[in-house]
Amino acid sequence: MRHIPTVAGRELRSMFVSPVAYGVLSLFSILGGVFFILYVAEFSEWVFRLQQMQAAQQLEDLNLSDHLVNGFYGSMSMVLLFLIPGITMGLFTAEKTNGTQELLLTSPLSIWDIVLGKFLAASTFVVLLAAIVGMFPAILFLYGDPEFGKTASGLLGVLLVGWTYAAIGCFASSLTRSQVLAFLVTFVILLCILLVPAMADLGIAGGASGVAEVLRWLSTGAHFDELAKGLVDTSDLAYFAVMIGIFLCMTKAVVESVRWR
Amino acid sequence: MIEARGLSKRYGDVVAVDDVSFSIGKGEVVGFLGPNGAGKTTTMRMLTGFLPPTEGTAVIAGHDIFEDAVAARRSVGYLPETPPLYPEMTCRSYLTYVAKIKEVPRAARRGAVDQAIERCGLGDVYRRVISTLSKGFRQRVGIAQAILGDPPVLILDEPTVGLDPLQIREIRSLIAGFAAPGKGETQQTVVLSTHILAEVEAICRRVILISGGRKQIDAPITELTSGGRSLEEIFTQETLRDASVDQDLEGEA
Repeated sequence: MRHIPTVAGRELRSMFVSPVAYGVLSLFSILGGVFFILYVAEFSEWVFRLQQMQAAQQLEDLNLSDHLVNGFYGSMSMVLLFLIPGITMGLFTAEKTNGTQELLLTSPLSIWDIVLGKFLAASTFVVLLAAIVGMFPAILFLYGDPEFGKTASGLLGVLLVGWTYAAIGCFASSLTRSQVLAFLVTFVILLCILLVPAMADLGIAGGASGVAEVLRWLSTGAHFDELAKGLVDTSDLAYFAVMIGIFLCMTKAVVESVRWR
Repeated sequence: MIEARGLSKRYGDVVAVDDVSFSIGKGEVVGFLGPNGAGKTTTMRMLTGFLPPTEGTAVIAGHDIFEDAVAARRSVGYLPETPPLYPEMTCRSYLTYVAKIKEVPRAARRGAVDQAIERCGLGDVYRRVISTLSKGFRQRVGIAQAILGDPPVLILDEPTVGLDPLQIREIRSLIAGFAAPGKGETQQTVVLSTHILAEVEAICRRVILISGGRKQIDAPITELTSGGRSLEEIFTQETLRDASVDQDLEGEA
């Protein structure tokens, strides 16, 4: 276990040697800026209209946290859906194409050292992404008064969503030698998780409310929404922990299976 | 140093390695000989702990590969067929990383990396990024990686494949140096695989010939060639005989 930082450090350094990491970070900042401006523009438009209509009650209800920051977090976590597979696709596939898998598996490292090291590298990168997301609401604090608690818990949501996606990406990357395939598999799993509640709502689950309930629980979106609303509930935190745990255990099993195939 | 006991590896119905046993003592340089696809790489992968044998076991420097897997892996320096390199790293940072994961103590790490660089003749290129190195240098980085931490056993899978004659000569003298070290260097047991006969004659004192997954010959080179036959004749004879046996079997079926 004590080699996790060693593996993670090498992985991170390699990410920042290639232009991919910089590309992803720049793209993410630009998209963040665009979404932020759009949400700010929409918000001020609302304020303007409500003032014209002299709807004092609605103006009172309108606030930065619920009507601006929340939507912004939601959009950014959708962007993560596209970017995180790009970061994680190389984690295990590159080891296979470089032949370094043989080095790792014949060294004293344990499989958990390798898997958790890679996940730590990816999650550190996600922290950078979340920091970029956090930058924009921070600007709001200079000019307005969004609720700090909600802003922080929503950001925690973005971070947890990112970590969950990273764990799924780790798993997909361990399955194949091809980066493209790893990207696609990650993306498909993420889409499935996103679409599961829609299926549950449509009644595909056969009306059995128990099944629909389970399907809805599986979706990342619902748990993220709770956090964005400012409700930090143990059950939502547990959801993210369980998802990350399951996918990392599956990754470990796949990496280990090389030895037993 | 290396004790293989009835190593077998099967993939479904395909038998890659069939009941191979041998024992290699300290400081020996043994050549693993055999045609392509004979099971050399598979045998080596079993010794290094990369693949578990279907049957049998091996003991490396006193550690069983099943019961004491981590200690057995720690005792082996392994150069796979393709050197396991990260192309985006510099030579030195790569070797430092390998030293870390091989658990070379922090205080000794720098010295160990320096020594590996020096022994493998990487003094002029250690600052360079691996992807810019020539094939010969990459092979040397691969060997440097294997000798880091002074493992008592070195397993080298086709260390000279794809190199030019000059590079081959350099790598050979490097390998010969591992079993007959200078002052302050550990004596190592070396197993290397190749299908180049001249290579075996140049550096090994003993030959293990594997063909069709089975051990055919295990003898010192002097003993094999004492009858006036060259290694090439013996090699051809053994591998052809095996092939003809296979053909006979197919004919009967």
